[in-house]
Amino acid sequence: MSDPPFEVDPGPVQPSAAHPPVPDSGGKSAEHRRGPARWLAWLTRIERDLAQIGTEPDPRNTFANERTFLAWNRTALALIAAGLAAAQFLNFNLHGLRLIIAVPLIVLGGALALASYSHWQDSERAMRLRRPLRYSWMPLVLTGGIVVIALGGAILAVVDRLLQ
Amino acid sequence: MSARGSQRSAAERGAEAGHKPPGLARDRTALAWTRSALNMAGSGVLIARAAFTANLDALGVASAIAMAIMALLIWSHGQTIYRQRGVAGTFPYHQPGALRLLTVATVLTAMVAILVTVAI
Repeated sequence: MSDPPFEVDPGPVQPSAAHPPVPDSGGKSAEHRRGPARWLAWLTRIERDLAQIGTEPDPRNTFANERTFLAWNRTALALIAAGLAAAQFLNFNLHGLRLIIAVPLIVLGGALALASYSHWQDSERAMRLRRPLRYSWMPLVLTGGIVVIALGGAILAVVDRLLQ
Repeated sequence: MSARGSQRSAAERGAEAGHKPPGLARDRTALAWTRSALNMAGSGVLIARAAFTANLDALGVASAIAMAIMALLIWSHGQTIYRQRGVAGTFPYHQPGALRLLTVATVLTAMVAILVTVAI
């Protein structure tokens, strides 16, 4: 008796006449759950939705997309840490002035953390559909934000000195 | 040959799907997860220190514990998917749930950071 032949994974089924798109029953049942269960169902539903789009890209691309997200997340945490450091170690005569440096740094970090997820999702969808990746506005916002905060810090330092 | 048909490696499955061998991409990704975990743990220390400076001791202890747990979760997730991606080859490879959780944790960190900053 010979071994059965290799099973080849067909991958996600593309919607077609033979395979119409599956109605999303998972989303509806999630509505009836409450509390953490509903939140978890929401998390997993997104995962399934993405998996049903297009075809699996080369894993190297998926991994690279994930590393890019993680790098943006670390950048966001670094900005938050910089804001905390500014709040503690800046020594202006006018005590409230350090908030003008610290709070924008932290807000920039939080915004980039949110944006990096949506950019990851956009890129993952584009790769699964074999479409070109979209340009991200995040590097521009990061650069602009750091320049503005640095200039603001320099001006504040001079003004604080002159008012002394 | 097909006796281990259900145990095929990710490389074998990838070859069937027309993918090139991933090389060290899997290792680079695992290291990125480790760096993220260390970053989260370090941020936890900074938040706690700032909260103590602002006399918000309870908030400092709570965020330090929460972020230490988060760092452990991130690290263990990195290890888990490193193994999964090497052996099981279960498509899809992407993990939106973990990325979402990390994003939520980072935004919460920013909120606590603003609170502490204003209170100092």
